[in-house]
Amino acid sequence: MAGPDRHGSGAVSEQRLSLAPWKDRRNLLALVVSMVTLALILVFSATVQGFATRGNLSVILSNSASLAILSCGMAVVIISRGLDLSIIAVMVAGATTYATCIEAGMGGGAALVVTGLAIVAVGMINAWLIAYAELPAMLATLASAMAITGLFRFAILRGEFLLLLPKENPAVQALTSDLLPGLPVVTVMMLAALAATWVLLNRTVAGEIIYAMGDNFLAARLSGLPVRSVTMLIYVWAAVMALAAGLVVSSASGAVDFRTVTNGTLLFDVILVVVLGGIPLRGGRGGLANIVLGVALIAVLRNGMTLMNVTTQIQDVIKGLVLLAAIAAENFLNPRDIETDTAGDL
Amino acid sequence: MLKATNTLPDGALRRPAKGIDFARLPRQAVPRMVISPRRVLSDVLTRGWIESAIPFLAFLVVAGVILATTDGFFSSSNLRTMSQYVPDGGIVVLALLIVVAAGGIDLSVGSNFAMSAFAALYGFHILELPVWAVLPISVLTGAFFGMVNGTLAGLLGCGALLTTLGTMITIRGLYTVASQSQLVAISSSARYDAAWDYIGFDRLAGLPIGFWCLLAVAVTVFFLFRQSRFGWHLLAVGGNRKAARNGGIGVRRTVFLAYVLAGALVGLSGFLYAARQNSVGSDTGIGMEFFLLTALVLGLGGFTSGRGAVVSVLVGFLTIYFINNAMINAGFRGDLVQFTLGAIILAILMVDVRFKKNLHRLVASSYLDPVARTPEPVRGSEGLMPDQIAPKLAGAEILAAGQVDGPEDVILDRDGHLFCGTRDGKILRLAAPDYREVTVHAAIGGRPLGLAFDAESRLLACVAGMGLVRVNRDGTHELLTDQTERSLFSVQDDTTIRMADDLDIAPDGVVYFTDATKRYDMESWAMDLLEGRPNGRLLSWDPRSGKTRTVCDNLLFPNGVCLAHDGRHLLVASTWGCSVLAFDLQNLRAGPRVLVDGLPGYPDNINRASDGGYWLALAGMRNPVVDLAMKHPGLRRRMTRRVPPTNWLFGNLNIGGVLKLDAAGQVEDAYWDRPDGALYMITSMREHRGALFLGGVTNDRIGRLALPGADEGWTGRGSYEGRA
Repeated sequence: MAGPDRHGSGAVSEQRLSLAPWKDRRNLLALVVSMVTLALILVFSATVQGFATRGNLSVILSNSASLAILSCGMAVVIISRGLDLSIIAVMVAGATTYATCIEAGMGGGAALVVTGLAIVAVGMINAWLIAYAELPAMLATLASAMAITGLFRFAILRGEFLLLLPKENPAVQALTSDLLPGLPVVTVMMLAALAATWVLLNRTVAGEIIYAMGDNFLAARLSGLPVRSVTMLIYVWAAVMALAAGLVVSSASGAVDFRTVTNGTLLFDVILVVVLGGIPLRGGRGGLANIVLGVALIAVLRNGMTLMNVTTQIQDVIKGLVLLAAIAAENFLNPRDIETDTAGDL
Repeated sequence: MLKATNTLPDGALRRPAKGIDFARLPRQAVPRMVISPRRVLSDVLTRGWIESAIPFLAFLVVAGVILATTDGFFSSSNLRTMSQYVPDGGIVVLALLIVVAAGGIDLSVGSNFAMSAFAALYGFHILELPVWAVLPISVLTGAFFGMVNGTLAGLLGCGALLTTLGTMITIRGLYTVASQSQLVAISSSARYDAAWDYIGFDRLAGLPIGFWCLLAVAVTVFFLFRQSRFGWHLLAVGGNRKAARNGGIGVRRTVFLAYVLAGALVGLSGFLYAARQNSVGSDTGIGMEFFLLTALVLGLGGFTSGRGAVVSVLVGFLTIYFINNAMINAGFRGDLVQFTLGAIILAILMVDVRFKKNLHRLVASSYLDPVARTPEPVRGSEGLMPDQIAPKLAGAEILAAGQVDGPEDVILDRDGHLFCGTRDGKILRLAAPDYREVTVHAAIGGRPLGLAFDAESRLLACVAGMGLVRVNRDGTHELLTDQTERSLFSVQDDTTIRMADDLDIAPDGVVYFTDATKRYDMESWAMDLLEGRPNGRLLSWDPRSGKTRTVCDNLLFPNGVCLAHDGRHLLVASTWGCSVLAFDLQNLRAGPRVLVDGLPGYPDNINRASDGGYWLALAGMRNPVVDLAMKHPGLRRRMTRRVPPTNWLFGNLNIGGVLKLDAAGQVEDAYWDRPDGALYMITSMREHRGALFLGGVTNDRIGRLALPGADEGWTGRGSYEGRA
């Protein structure tokens, strides 16, 4: 299969031999998650007023756009066995820069170029720390998240938490409008991000190298693959995705809120999407289908719970429990081999 | 150095001499200690605590900058205020350390902290429990969530990062729901309790109660990692899970307990916080895990499991805490503080990662530290050089060819059986009379070098890498000593005997043996020549007390040891010194004197001869280029760094030679093999019943040379027992 569903080299041949692909244990979690999503949709449709409506579907789609775009960035990083904890910080930084640019009177295109350059620079700094300074990805992005948030709040917002967007500005309105009737720009951006991710992972040499790095980083490096430049690409990719998501979020809410960085819920949601979709944190596996699946589950869950008037705190508790259940299930289905497990694997 | 012997006419040297006239021998200068900046650097770099050097330096720099730019940060009032707030994070960072040391991570500490603080407030204000009951409620709350983490990440083996991320969000949600429902009741409670306020606000000996708790926890965790079985298990599991499991440690149980313990500590911290603040807010503990993770990483210099560095982690924590506090005190805005913290952490981590990555290179490039030395010119063997006399060893009979691997020393017992050590750590026995039957007498390991029989006919062996070993007649063996006193002012612990080389036994039973070099192992002894420093020492082991003493430190590769015929002097061959030194056993403090120097080669073992003289093995020959190179340390250092070892300048090890010394130690004859002969690099020889047995440390055979005219009844053993 021209596969969004990627596996380690061994699994592909296993799958071809096997008459019943669902017996492949690696797929079991994805199967379980899709069943759960379907069940949730059925239950919500039956019990929640206004869930199974056309209007709600478009709400789900546009509400999950930012999450899906962020997940595209995060998934690529995680497949390469990295981690980008700064993705929300970059998202907010990008939105801030864009908003400041158009406030200063720039046109939408020029603002986008300036913001894009700034965000690519941020992504390159992240990548440089990981690829050249050789800091562990988790630590580098943890610290850079602090530095980025601090810098942008200090330099641009002068210490404020909140930046309000000029809603009447055409550069903002372009983002909130519909491209075609019933097809908002944000949905198109989401689809574009998903398509770009598919192309990157499945149709480019860099994509192959990303899988190779996730499978065994040392082997990839020893066989002469350009792991450093690909690391650059990966983190710049994540930064650009974060910028896109930032534009979506801020245009929808009309404001940039730095508290999204500190309260951590969005970062948690992104990681939740990637993990529930079936991309393991140790990398090397997963693809577009996993992202879509994860986003679908979280979007449906969020939407259903919001319609049922569940408070954010309880939603958090439920999402946390879902994650724990998913981890336990994954562990039950694919037990880790303690003999091959190393202490560094978190 | 002016030598008495050299003033004699040449012919007088060869005249049979009476014995060793110790008082007339020139003194050998022995340095008290060997100090060089590069050696100190390399020794410091190999110490274990160097790993924490960067965090400590960072702390000092930060403290220095704060001291220079603020006034009053380190005033007693500000320190006192900080000591009230430090324990919260301090205890939790230690909890985090326990988990990380065991190879996990705990992101839920912040939520758990808030939850435990809430539990304490709920117990105190709502349930109105006595304070002694509130503490366990708080600690147990923490431990309960630790148990959840431990069950998932430890017992079930799920990924720790995701598990604790899940519990972090879940607990935070539960906390928010719970605290919002009780907030009004708690803040309107008017309950007052003396013990509660004592814990929150009072001081014991000038410090807040919480600070004492932090100290107690720090000391406990320190000793947990240093002394307790559980702590060792934690470090083993964090260091290498597979090895720990194969070593019989219950990995899953250990990780589980690590999370529970960490949870309990977080609970304690939450209790202290509750007693002090008397309230919780929606932001309690938010961002705590990231702040403390950063502190931990800063202290450990990276995210390293298997290290229980309590002090380093607390230093890292204080560094971050000080930066944060000083900047806020100075009125900087929170966002700038955040940016600075992030940037500083990245900078420190980058330096630290580079440092750790290149540390071994730095050590490798600074370990070898050559020094200029001017060897004594060759003298005393005029007319006896290989090109001047016939190669007498060419007539030697070859024994056990291919059956022995590297017999550094050979020795014969009363019945004429031959014993030798081999490269694979065995003592072989070659049965008299034809020495064809080779059996393993003992397998002791290490690299057996010098051998000697004691009064009870037990074999004592110097074993490189082990020490002094005694092999009983039935083949059993025991380690007599592997350590001596630590030398004064040494950065590195040099108590371990690294390369025990040769030995002899004094009439009073004390064993004198050499530790040829304290700095190199058996495989790299050649580096010691290139270094050219006095790295060796003469040691003694007293069988009565079992004590090992350093008789003389800082000798230049002391090798062969032989008790002189008079039973009073000890001869020690100094290989790189190309000399033989003499010690007076009745006055060891007088130090060594030079019996003979300017030898044409590098002397190895020295043994008695039947005519009252001595046999001296030459492991290799000097050549003028190497002698010249000894004067140029820079050349040798560059050579070891840039030229492959096979192309290094070195002495000629391809020709075998034995010198015959007379009773006064002067060279009177020389026995050479042909340049292509079978006996090269001769490291030992023993005379036995009119024949000379020859061993070589890199050879696979033993030579036997008949000595016409020698005493047919003389044996080495007999000579020691006075029966010669």
